[in-house]
Amino acid sequence: MSTNVIDRPSTATPAALTPKRLTISNLNKSFGAVHVVKNLSIDVEPGEFLVLLGPSGCGKTTALRMIAGLEEVDDGSIVLGDTDMTHVLPKYRDIAMVFQSYALYPHKTVAENIGFPLKVRGIEPGAREEAVRDAAAQVHMETLLDRFPRQLSGGQRQRVALARAIVRRPAAFLMDEPLSNLDAKLRGFMRAELKHMQHELGVTTVYVTHDQIEAMTLAHRVAIIDHGVLQQLGTPKDVYNNPANLFVAGFMGSPPMNFVEGTMNNGRFRAHQVDLAVEGGVTASDVTLGFRPEDAVVVDPGQGRFDARVYTAEMTGEQTLVTLKIGEDTLAVKMPKDFEVDYDATVGIGFAIDHGFLFDTTTGKRLDARIADAA
Amino acid sequence: MTATGHDLSSRGLWQRLFEPPSINRMAPGTFITVYALLLVWTLVVLFPVYWVLITSFKLPLDVASGPYFLPWVDFTPDLHAWKALFVDDWEDTLKAYSNSIIIALASTALSVLVGSMAAYGLARVQYKPKLGSILIFVAATIAAIIAVVRYGVEWWLAGLVALAVFYFLVLALSRHFKTTLANGDILFWIISQRILAPIVVVVPIYIMFQRVGQLDTHQAIILTYAVINLPIVVWLMYDFFTSIPVDLEESAQLDGATRIMTFTEIVLPLSRAGLAATTLLVSILSWNEYLLALFLSTSKAQTMPILVAGMAAGERGVLWWTMCVTIIVMIVPVVFMAIVLQRFISKGVLLGAVKG
Repeated sequence: MSTNVIDRPSTATPAALTPKRLTISNLNKSFGAVHVVKNLSIDVEPGEFLVLLGPSGCGKTTALRMIAGLEEVDDGSIVLGDTDMTHVLPKYRDIAMVFQSYALYPHKTVAENIGFPLKVRGIEPGAREEAVRDAAAQVHMETLLDRFPRQLSGGQRQRVALARAIVRRPAAFLMDEPLSNLDAKLRGFMRAELKHMQHELGVTTVYVTHDQIEAMTLAHRVAIIDHGVLQQLGTPKDVYNNPANLFVAGFMGSPPMNFVEGTMNNGRFRAHQVDLAVEGGVTASDVTLGFRPEDAVVVDPGQGRFDARVYTAEMTGEQTLVTLKIGEDTLAVKMPKDFEVDYDATVGIGFAIDHGFLFDTTTGKRLDARIADAA
Repeated sequence: MTATGHDLSSRGLWQRLFEPPSINRMAPGTFITVYALLLVWTLVVLFPVYWVLITSFKLPLDVASGPYFLPWVDFTPDLHAWKALFVDDWEDTLKAYSNSIIIALASTALSVLVGSMAAYGLARVQYKPKLGSILIFVAATIAAIIAVVRYGVEWWLAGLVALAVFYFLVLALSRHFKTTLANGDILFWIISQRILAPIVVVVPIYIMFQRVGQLDTHQAIILTYAVINLPIVVWLMYDFFTSIPVDLEESAQLDGATRIMTFTEIVLPLSRAGLAATTLLVSILSWNEYLLALFLSTSKAQTMPILVAGMAAGERGVLWWTMCVTIIVMIVPVVFMAIVLQRFISKGVLLGAVKG
């Protein structure tokens, strides 16, 4: 993409439109014997940026396609504003969607692509042209209106797809991994653009991604989905700091949360050489201890909560990532960039008590108990 | 390749001749072989055209005593054959020519229209016909035919009863049928219609049109051609339609387009190349068809291939010269059409539709 578009301020004035609430209740969908979306209920606030996050095949895209009306709903309802949209045709839903593939019409110019939603609505050419120019300006594409999609770079195509979505001021935006086809640098830039634009337009947005960093940075709230089931719904900070279960804890963060599988015995958590007192009643016998790499420190042996063996240490520039082994489990600890340690050395791992989480290994649920301060 | 093969000067004769010196250059031996073969093939393809062209200007004597290859050197060109066709017999020529054009255009239009609609349906909708229902339909049809042929039942009555029986049986039994067919089976069934050699069906078709008094008419030949070309249209267009990303149509629907608009605004422009190629192929097939035309036309609806064949069996012997003129006249519209359509048959129409 050309670099001259990057720093220009947005020239278009945000449209005055009332954002609508999107209520999804008990949504279900099966393909044959596979139940891909199970009892999904989410209430998206007017103007909210909601991200559906999950690994590929978790049903998040199917959920989005049901909201769009591209997939029939087996059971449940979709309400936009005051209107039940569950079985309404896509074209009457007043929803715009940005596809992962962008889905630009290859035989139409940029202007024709952006103007297509207006053209099919019978808006007269004069007004259409003005709206197209406004939308194009909003994504900094006003100089390329006569080009064809094949003459554009990936980032520019992405912008055209966005402009086509915003040109008719829809009640809601749906985005299906819109940034996944861009290279890393452009993705970071477009992420900021997207967030700014959503804020400016104030349109209710549902965004699907498998990239947890995208979810953390863009979302007002994140809905984490696995195997078609909503695992946790909350602000990025909330799901990161208070994961509801093992899946959420393991999915968020890079590298993800460290886990040590162990057992409960007389109010103590035991695994390998780990032996920690636990506060609060725990009925489960198989328990997993979790803590985030950035919340832990490598200390001298015996000084931390337990000891582990150093596997590797990697300097990433801003920090040193120390990988440790305890039994067969691999743990990661983020240390300052000038930290040095010998391979195979035995070291201690320390973390504050409120940074340690306990999960029921069988159900995956987070336990209402924590590591006691006393050893 | 030997260990020292990277040193160009130390290569053996065989390597020098047939091993490319670098990845984007041809070895001399390969170059000569490839172009010699291409030249031979060019001659094989083009010589008959040349031969037909010069024969159309030869006198009967030159044809009989030849072979002569070069006009003005071996023989003196003469327009007698062209005169015979365009002045003496121009009414017959014009009739056959217009018949051929009308039949080719109409049957092509019909088969491309119906066939591409079928192909689009197969490319976009998942059909699951139940095998049991299909078998009931076949059984009901056979029963109706037997009733008409053996017991002299009125055909409309037999058809109506068969349809009713089929409907009620399916209504009662269909939930017990487990085996279903899919789009692939339907597609194969359609394509398999073309596997049948036309000679097998030509007599039944003849009798059918004879019964309804439609022999030697345009509509009989148009309909027959449209039907026999339908499988080819479905097959080719199915491939073109599946190559259009479904995202584009879904996007158009969300943009507010109706089904018809999606088809005319998105699908049709994108399948132009496929439609052009299919139209060209099918019209050439119709234009050249001989066997069915021979049975279905006698004089009024006679097409060009029949006219040409007739020249080989006249009482005056084989009229090679007029035959050649007719062949040239037949080739011209096909070449013209190919030139017109080939600018649509360009690749890269879908470039930029999806991905970065």
